[in-house]
Amino acid sequence: MTDTPDSGKLELPQGTLDLLILKSLSLEAQHGWAISERIRQVSSAALQIPQGSLYPALHRLERRGWIKAKWGESENNRRAKFYELTRTGRHQLESETDAWRRLTVAVRLVLEMR
Amino acid sequence: MLDSFLSDVRFRFRAIFHRAEVERELDAEMRFHLERESEKNEHRGLDAEEASRRARVAFGGIDRFKEDARDARGVGVLEMVARDLRYAARGLRAHPGFTFAVVATLALGIGANTAMFGVVDRLMFRAPTYMRDPATVNRITLAYAFRGKPLLGGSIEYRRYLDLTQGSTSIETSAAFYSDKFAVGTGERAREMRVAAVSSSYFRFFDAHPVIGRFIDSTDDAAPAGVQVVVIGNTLWKTEYGARSDVIGQQLMIGSMNATIIGVAPAGFSGLEALEPVVAFVPITTYAYLTLPDYAQNYDWGWLNMLVRRKPGITVAAAERDMTRAYIRSWEAERAISPNNPPVVAARPHVLVSPIHNLSGPDRGREAPIILWVSGVASIVLLIACANVANLLLARSFRRRREITVRLAVGVSRSRLIALLLTESLLLAVLAGIAGIVVGEAGQGLLRVLFLPKTTTIGVLDDFRTILFACLIAFITGLLTGLAPALQSGRSDLTTALKSGVREGGQQRSRTRSILLLAQGSLSVFLLVGAGLFIRSLQKVAAVHLGFDVEPLLYVSPHLRGQHLSKDANNVLLERLQAQAGSIAGVERVTQLTTVPMWQSMSQSFTVPGIDSVERLGHFNLQMATAEYFRTMGTRIVRGRGFDSTDGASSPRVAVVSEGMANALWPGQNALGKCIKFGGDTMPCTSVVGIAENIKANDLIEDNGLQYYRALRQSAPRDAVIFVRTHGDGRRLAETVRKVLQPLMPGSSYVTVTPMHDIVDPSLRPWRVGATMFLLFGILALVLAAVGLYSVIAYDVAQRTQEFGLRIALGAHARDMFRMVLGEGLRFALGGIVVGALIALAAGHWVQPLLYEESAHDPLVFISVAAVLAVVAVAASAIPARKAMRLDPSIALRTE
Repeated sequence: MTDTPDSGKLELPQGTLDLLILKSLSLEAQHGWAISERIRQVSSAALQIPQGSLYPALHRLERRGWIKAKWGESENNRRAKFYELTRTGRHQLESETDAWRRLTVAVRLVLEMR
Repeated sequence: MLDSFLSDVRFRFRAIFHRAEVERELDAEMRFHLERESEKNEHRGLDAEEASRRARVAFGGIDRFKEDARDARGVGVLEMVARDLRYAARGLRAHPGFTFAVVATLALGIGANTAMFGVVDRLMFRAPTYMRDPATVNRITLAYAFRGKPLLGGSIEYRRYLDLTQGSTSIETSAAFYSDKFAVGTGERAREMRVAAVSSSYFRFFDAHPVIGRFIDSTDDAAPAGVQVVVIGNTLWKTEYGARSDVIGQQLMIGSMNATIIGVAPAGFSGLEALEPVVAFVPITTYAYLTLPDYAQNYDWGWLNMLVRRKPGITVAAAERDMTRAYIRSWEAERAISPNNPPVVAARPHVLVSPIHNLSGPDRGREAPIILWVSGVASIVLLIACANVANLLLARSFRRRREITVRLAVGVSRSRLIALLLTESLLLAVLAGIAGIVVGEAGQGLLRVLFLPKTTTIGVLDDFRTILFACLIAFITGLLTGLAPALQSGRSDLTTALKSGVREGGQQRSRTRSILLLAQGSLSVFLLVGAGLFIRSLQKVAAVHLGFDVEPLLYVSPHLRGQHLSKDANNVLLERLQAQAGSIAGVERVTQLTTVPMWQSMSQSFTVPGIDSVERLGHFNLQMATAEYFRTMGTRIVRGRGFDSTDGASSPRVAVVSEGMANALWPGQNALGKCIKFGGDTMPCTSVVGIAENIKANDLIEDNGLQYYRALRQSAPRDAVIFVRTHGDGRRLAETVRKVLQPLMPGSSYVTVTPMHDIVDPSLRPWRVGATMFLLFGILALVLAAVGLYSVIAYDVAQRTQEFGLRIALGAHARDMFRMVLGEGLRFALGGIVVGALIALAAGHWVQPLLYEESAHDPLVFISVAAVLAVVAVAASAIPARKAMRLDPSIALRTE
């Protein structure tokens, strides 16, 4: 797991950051840094979220009521802000995941057309 | 959906009001992230400094992050608005003169509209307070044709009300009501106040419940005599009875009724009276019986208003058809009593199911369209005010051109700049709105003094709808005035603007200003032409020959209030009052009569030998009077004689007819000595002994001039009143006459003295309202336009200082400078006159019906207005022109 910049990295399509955040929060409550780490690890470092834009996204989701935040102890015993999915957030995740699946299928169909 | 909305609101709320805390948390969150990131980097073997640097690089710009985070929190916009507001407020504080001019101009416009709205809304649109489901409620208007001419039936007879109610199936509830001023209370505390006589069903139209006691019920208003009970208004209860609960059962004298108080109406309940508070409600039959005991047996006395609630699902048209059938049956029933009435086929009686408010209905009179016009005029004044303010703002934005271009140059986006300028004009509009509400309150005070009953309880401050209206127009005003300057600055071209000085205003801008100025001038001309037309109408109406004098006359009316006097005793009282009045210094003549001109009308069926049906010739108005009548009233006797003291009960029966009646009955013949038979063919002749000039007995404008007079002693009327003729203006003697006569009145009875002026004057009101309001608003518009013109020309002169200096240096005469600037002002005036006159000519078609014997295209009015505008334009541009004339070229050329 190297940290080579710019090789094989993908730009995040518009609007997918929210979906990734919701997905990584669907298993457990996490703080911001852990979310960015998880997305990077799971995507084999192909997706790297610009860390600065993670927090505005989190706040936006909180404002919409899809996630909620509370302060807690981090794994190294420091105060950190943990985010977790709300019920509406969970619904949102389901419907967005579904929409995403249908979209990718459709896009692939179009691209593989001969 | 609601969930996420609530969370959104909560979030924003916290973000705004707990801003410090939110910022602290944001900071902590970010620091935690950076620590974790650099820890991770250190684990991978980097030294501490490099680890933290990489963490920061990976994170991106910290300030940018904070800004983004704030935007995401949804405070960005609000914070921006707050910043703009602070900036705008600072700017306005820095220029108090400018701010005052703008706020005052807009406040006048907003205030004028607010005041008008408060009145028009109450008179024409707003459902009465407490009314339940007003959409299903209608007022009933009767209509029929007389000699082929469509007429509105006016007030409704009690029996007709019953016929219509019982004869129709489409209505759920119907109510009859009547309101007038009556003496309420006794002795020193007695005052004339508005009282409503209502059927018990009246209260079913409202969702109102008595504060204490009960409302009038169906036993109270049982026919014929009813019960002498009263429901008092909330205000009367509080002011006269200290809101005590033991008022129930107390006696209260209302007119001639000695009524027992049975209930207190809730606060603000005034039935259908929109402007004046009703202080008491009495049963309709009780009042009717005391006035005319046989009221329920015939169709002689039309006095009622009728209200209906349609059954669910019944349309207005369906109710109209159903009630018209009932009206036709009622018409036939009336014809059974009075066979001379025209048959249904000729009269075509029909019912109009009309709006609740009389002024929006078919029988709305002359005043309603004028009131609507005046409201329109008020909105034109507001438009002019807006144009003026837009002009001032534009001028200001030119002065701030450098500031604005610098802002644009340093990267402020145009949309932000437009938002900033709009914020400024909206802030001005808010201030103007507040000031406008105050102006509106004062304006309604003025309306009350000029046109409305003195006891009206209208107001802006305690009325939600009016306040809401004021806020709405203030907001629209803010947008309207801010738009032009904001768009202008949004459009400005950076490089040229930065390079040029303050002085060069682009052609584009001065064109906008000119158009605004031209609009102001035209609208002022339009309003002033309207004012001129109404003033001329008013003059002509006031000069109408009435056939009787107004100023010297006083109407003396005895009110017996339940004192039962025998016919003889009543006659004695009238004689004593007449004799006493005649002895007052300054009183010239006194007479007794039965019918107060313009207020009342009376008729009596009669036949004329040789004529089949006199009813077909028109409606004849009867007056019964004693000696001296014609000389007291100032009505000229054309031929023959008037009544004198010899026309007593035992002497030959005599009558006087008007010229109009003489021509109608005996065209081309000498009417003197002709025979009229009252009360049937078998009765003896009453001979015509005199012919009087026609008078305006019922209406200032439309009056058929068919009047006849009988000697009072020979016709035994139910009651009579007294008219007094004084030397000079009767109004000065009114109180003296009342004081002298009052001691003659027995018990709690009393006498009122009304100047004839007060009786005739309301007939002039429609034109007076038109003339006063158009003139008031016209002058306001003219002043605004003059100020606008002045500011534009003055600004222009200031802009062209260098040019003028150059011209003078090159040998132009100071006089030429003066003439040049003046000419510019006159050009605007000329444009305004032409455009405004065209608008006025086009609108003439709609104004014409409101005028009296005055062409809407009266050249005299148009020319006068043009002259006025030209003079004002010269005056407004003379000041800057003098300034231009006196420029010292050596200074002017050096100024930047």
